[in-house]
Amino acid sequence: MNSKTASGAAKRRWPAMNRRQFVQAIVSAGVVGTLVSFLSLLMSLLPSTGAGEEQGEVDNVFRYGPEKGTWYSDKSGTEVMLEDFDQVGKGAGVLWRKSIPAIVIRVDESRLQGATATNGLIAFAATCTHLCCIATWRLDRPTEDVLFCRCHDGVFDPYNVVSDVMLDGTRYLGAKVMAGPPPRAAPIIPIEIKDGKVAGVPENVELYGYCG
Amino acid sequence: MKLLSTRLKRLYDWIDKRYKISPLIAEAQRSINFALPSTLTRQNKSRIFWLGYPYYYAGAITAFLAILQGVTGLLLAFHYVPSAVGDPGTPTQAYLSVQYIMKYVPLGALIRGIHQWGANLLVAALAIHAFWAFFRSPYRIGREISWVLGVVLLGLALVYSFSGYLLPWDQLGYWAATISVQIVRAVPVLGDLIAQILLGGTTLSPLTLTRMYFYHVSLLPVVALVLVGAHLVLVVLQGVSEPEEAWRTQANREGQVGKQAGPLFAPFFPHQIGPVLIISLVTLGLVLLLGAYAVQMPGDPANKFLTPQFISPEWYFLWAYGLLKWVGWVYDLVHFVPPATIFGVDLVSAKVIGILIAAAMFVVLLLLPVIDRGSEVRALRRPLKTAIGVWAIGLLSTLTLYALNEILSSTLLIPIDAMNMMLGSIVIVVPLVGAVPVYVILRRHNARLS
Repeated sequence: MNSKTASGAAKRRWPAMNRRQFVQAIVSAGVVGTLVSFLSLLMSLLPSTGAGEEQGEVDNVFRYGPEKGTWYSDKSGTEVMLEDFDQVGKGAGVLWRKSIPAIVIRVDESRLQGATATNGLIAFAATCTHLCCIATWRLDRPTEDVLFCRCHDGVFDPYNVVSDVMLDGTRYLGAKVMAGPPPRAAPIIPIEIKDGKVAGVPENVELYGYCG
Repeated sequence: MKLLSTRLKRLYDWIDKRYKISPLIAEAQRSINFALPSTLTRQNKSRIFWLGYPYYYAGAITAFLAILQGVTGLLLAFHYVPSAVGDPGTPTQAYLSVQYIMKYVPLGALIRGIHQWGANLLVAALAIHAFWAFFRSPYRIGREISWVLGVVLLGLALVYSFSGYLLPWDQLGYWAATISVQIVRAVPVLGDLIAQILLGGTTLSPLTLTRMYFYHVSLLPVVALVLVGAHLVLVVLQGVSEPEEAWRTQANREGQVGKQAGPLFAPFFPHQIGPVLIISLVTLGLVLLLGAYAVQMPGDPANKFLTPQFISPEWYFLWAYGLLKWVGWVYDLVHFVPPATIFGVDLVSAKVIGILIAAAMFVVLLLLPVIDRGSEVRALRRPLKTAIGVWAIGLLSTLTLYALNEILSSTLLIPIDAMNMMLGSIVIVVPLVGAVPVYVILRRHNARLS
């Protein structure tokens, strides 16, 4: 601030205000300011960062999911083995890294487009890209080779792997949407086999957090 | 007896000396006794006139059920534990406490049954009340605030029952809520922030249950008391909006054929309250019967890794659920693949279109007093509005039917694609088949009258 503008301001005529009005203005501003500052307490409604992140050790081996009435129902929670998938079309709902539902399928490799299978297996994230229900394999559509979401009839084609873009701009490969409301393909999870166990490759785990 | 009344009088005087309540009570008595019109009562000279106008009492039934919900909810709150901590698929404290209420609390199952069925009947009564009000256009005769408060209360009732549906933390409630959370997240730009503030995160978690419980038992009751109070005070001050047919009949009876008589005012007690009490008792009987014999046990404990087959929200949200499915079906039919985003915002996916349609409906209802102006209130003299109302009823019913496509397809053994094609066309055709003739007939009818 230079002295010239300061003296200029001093010469300016202020709006007429007596002491009473001055006190009223100051007190009103104080009351309003206090009320507004209380609004900051609403910050507490936002979830604290880092809460619920402690998961302990996670390995990348798939574990069978909780679906009832399937061939893997009695194996629920145990590690997914390559030898269990003895025929084309056999698939299972599994859990990856304790939090990501997925589907592992033994595919007919000659029909598979856009991706390659690992020892005949391919895996997709089972969380529907529409409204985050868990898709199934041959539970609701037993005769069709599709990933099917029960909530709003979303259908994904595991034999047609295409490139797609997440809402945040990440490019990825996934099972193409055949029908229904899902806006994006179901992301593929790369597979590796370790000692006969089927595991996912955690190269881009953040990708699967699209349901928060 | 005399001693008792003297004692009571002295107690009243003692309180009055301190709180000065007698002017207030006198004013309340005056307005209650003289504000409500009584054409219907007089005209029928009997206490059963509500038989002729059952929808007329939907509001009173709603109020009665709201009180019943308050009482039973209070009793349930003594036993319910709002904790959803636990492994997916295992019973949580919340789930166990509902089981405990059902099995061990004396009359617990009945109380929960009344609460459950009371909520269902309340929404049903509210829907009748709302449609009745829609067709009668009461906001055209100085009841704009009642209408707007009513629309807000309708939304409030839906939020109320939605938050209650989640509390047992079973599979049905969990997945209905999951879908709703993701729908909230799909709101353009602000979705995630709203989800985090209202629901404690972008996915369902124990935090969500705590917030829902807080809304259900603490926040919403206060809001509801204030809004319902404001809604009912207006009824007392302005009187019940009576159908004009009743005025006309009254005029005929009194030999003034062809003249329009206004509503006649008569004491609230006992002329108006009598039928209300009778119909409240009938409602109570119905709720007791349903609560005792048709209470729904909670399903399996919530499991976030397993979506159950045939998930469905409560019946009064089915239309919204059907809307989401239906928009997806239309997209498939015309081979429209929505682009991922437009300017970084998801605007045309089926879920966002669904949200926008539902939000638009709510906003239109809220602004109806501004949009729809004039003085004619008779539904039969308003072809376009009545036709729109019929179309809306048709649309809500057929969308509800569409929401049940999976269940219908597996019970009727019709392939799902054929089922979708059939129901999808019904959604388009049936509301129009209902509304167009109504419009044409009423138009002709009015042309002949004028």
